[in-house]
Amino acid sequence: MLEINELRKRFAGSPGSPVAKIALDGISFTVRPGEMFGFVGANGAGKTTTMRIVMGVLQADSGSVSLRGEPIGPGDRRRFGYMPEERGLYQKMRVGEQIEYFGRLHGMSAAAVKKATDDLLEQLGLTERRNDAVQALSLGNQQRVQLAVALVHDPELLILDEPFSGLDPIAVDALATVLQERCRGGVPVIFSSHQLELVERLCDSVGIVSAGRMVAAGTVAGLRAAEAGELRVVVRDPAPGWADGLPGTVTVDGDRHILRCTGGDDQEILRRAVKAGRVEHFGAEQPSLTDIFKEAVA
Amino acid sequence: MNGLMLVARREIMTQLRTKGFVIGLLITAVLVAAVSFAPKVLGGEDSYTLGTVNSQQLPLQAAAPDTKFEWRQFPDENAATQAVVDGDVDAVLVNGTKVLTDGQVDGELGVLLQSVNREVKLGAAGVSIPPLQMQSVGADTRYESARTGIAVVLVLVLFMLIIGQVMMVAMGVVEEKGSRIVEILLSTVRPWQLLGGKIVGLGTLGLINMVTILVVGLGSAMASGIATDFPPGIPGLVAAVLVWFVLGYLFFAALAAAFGSLVSRQEEVGSVLTPLTMLIMIAYLVAFYATNDPTGTLATVVSYIPPFSSMVMPVRMAATEVPLWEVAVSMGAMLLAVPVVLAFGAKIYERAVLRTGARLKLGDVLRAK
Repeated sequence: MLEINELRKRFAGSPGSPVAKIALDGISFTVRPGEMFGFVGANGAGKTTTMRIVMGVLQADSGSVSLRGEPIGPGDRRRFGYMPEERGLYQKMRVGEQIEYFGRLHGMSAAAVKKATDDLLEQLGLTERRNDAVQALSLGNQQRVQLAVALVHDPELLILDEPFSGLDPIAVDALATVLQERCRGGVPVIFSSHQLELVERLCDSVGIVSAGRMVAAGTVAGLRAAEAGELRVVVRDPAPGWADGLPGTVTVDGDRHILRCTGGDDQEILRRAVKAGRVEHFGAEQPSLTDIFKEAVA
Repeated sequence: MNGLMLVARREIMTQLRTKGFVIGLLITAVLVAAVSFAPKVLGGEDSYTLGTVNSQQLPLQAAAPDTKFEWRQFPDENAATQAVVDGDVDAVLVNGTKVLTDGQVDGELGVLLQSVNREVKLGAAGVSIPPLQMQSVGADTRYESARTGIAVVLVLVLFMLIIGQVMMVAMGVVEEKGSRIVEILLSTVRPWQLLGGKIVGLGTLGLINMVTILVVGLGSAMASGIATDFPPGIPGLVAAVLVWFVLGYLFFAALAAAFGSLVSRQEEVGSVLTPLTMLIMIAYLVAFYATNDPTGTLATVVSYIPPFSSMVMPVRMAATEVPLWEVAVSMGAMLLAVPVVLAFGAKIYERAVLRTGARLKLGDVLRAK
């Protein structure tokens, strides 16, 4: 279990932007083993800063990051997999050698790294490109290599900053499959994304960050439950004035009357609707993650 | 294998694999060999073919023991003239009174012919002149020109190799910073391991270059015969040059890493390194001046001051005899300076390398927490 506790980070002003900026304002969340955690938030909300602090690339001003109850140190981080937002690969280095190099830096033996690289290249469909220089690859394939670099040492924790940005739908699926596989193996996966449908589809839990704080976190279903769903009732050709006294608003579309409301006694509403005419639809509208997100950061 | 060695190995393998490195090494080797053979090729002729018409051969060999003379006899002046014009002989002595040459006579040969002829005629008349005894009361200058030659080659080699490798360090730092690879790297290795590996790796490549130059240079000097003119103590000089190269490289590379980490784009490397390249240029210029005047005040004083000593002292050692204590003091000062500069460079690098974007000011980086 990864616990992020009350992280704070302030960036000093520079000659270009003299005002100091508070990047993190006491952000906290936890990620359980085998959980895929989607990190969403507007640009500049603090997602990348949080991830960099977890990876030890930045130092927090205060707060802690712990894994299985122990504060994490450089030794732990060598067993993490990381994909930074601005992709970093040696453009002139060969694909296979690059993956192997990072594997060795993570402390793997030469033999183990060779095997892991072969397997990953196979899995990501890059076996034929093994001896090509990275710069000869398409952007999508470079992204796959970047993922391979993050995965080669069979990490205990995966942190991926915008792994899906700029990928076509097929590449997105390929990447998602690989991540889900790792996740099922018990590895906590944290990734940030602006593609909320994707986050909704893949993630067990979601954290919504705004201005350096976690404004909502939990399972997608849990967040939905917290967000009072809107009741929508469609009645065909009802008696006039059927909805008098009921909460919400009625719109008329031909002979259909559509009632939308939040709160109120739904059973009472249903009884009135049945009495008034033919009920074509009765149900709570599920808020999408986009709705929840907009609500949370508003 | 620890992080530093892995990083160093990557630097070495990446460079060794490039065509540029291999071709550069070959070109250097050919140039060095050419320089070693040049005096042999460009130096004056040291063998002459001479002819006689109705004359005695002059005892030139006794007067010039290092020069080879070959004599031919011609039946008459016409045949001799033809041979001179055809270039078969350099000069022909006719009737013991005149010399035929094609154009003006070779200076050395002319003087030799005149003086030996005079001596022979005087000897025949019963006059004998004991040759002048030459005695030097000054410094031993036998090796002076060889020493200057070695020093000039050395200053060029040190300058090229140090500035070349130091630029590579800066460009490597910026490559990793600009592409953000450094973020992944620093989540697995410590900054000092990353920087140390880069400096060790590129330094090893510089040493490979240096050793190649020394081996090819000394090898071709021996092959061409100019090694016989070399002063004693060449092995000691070679060892000293290697040590000085390593010390100078470490000093400048640490600064290159510090300055390089201030920028995020390759285009900015040149301008951010300007103070450093100026420093190396000053060392080069003083060292070059020292080839001519290795015992002068400027060369002597500067040869104690780090980092200039790393280029000026080896050049002085090549150009003249430098007392051992002077070398020891100078090297001691450099040995103290190198760790300080390395620590400073590592500090700047560590603070600046993750701050991508606009060029950072050194002062801001130093003040920042």
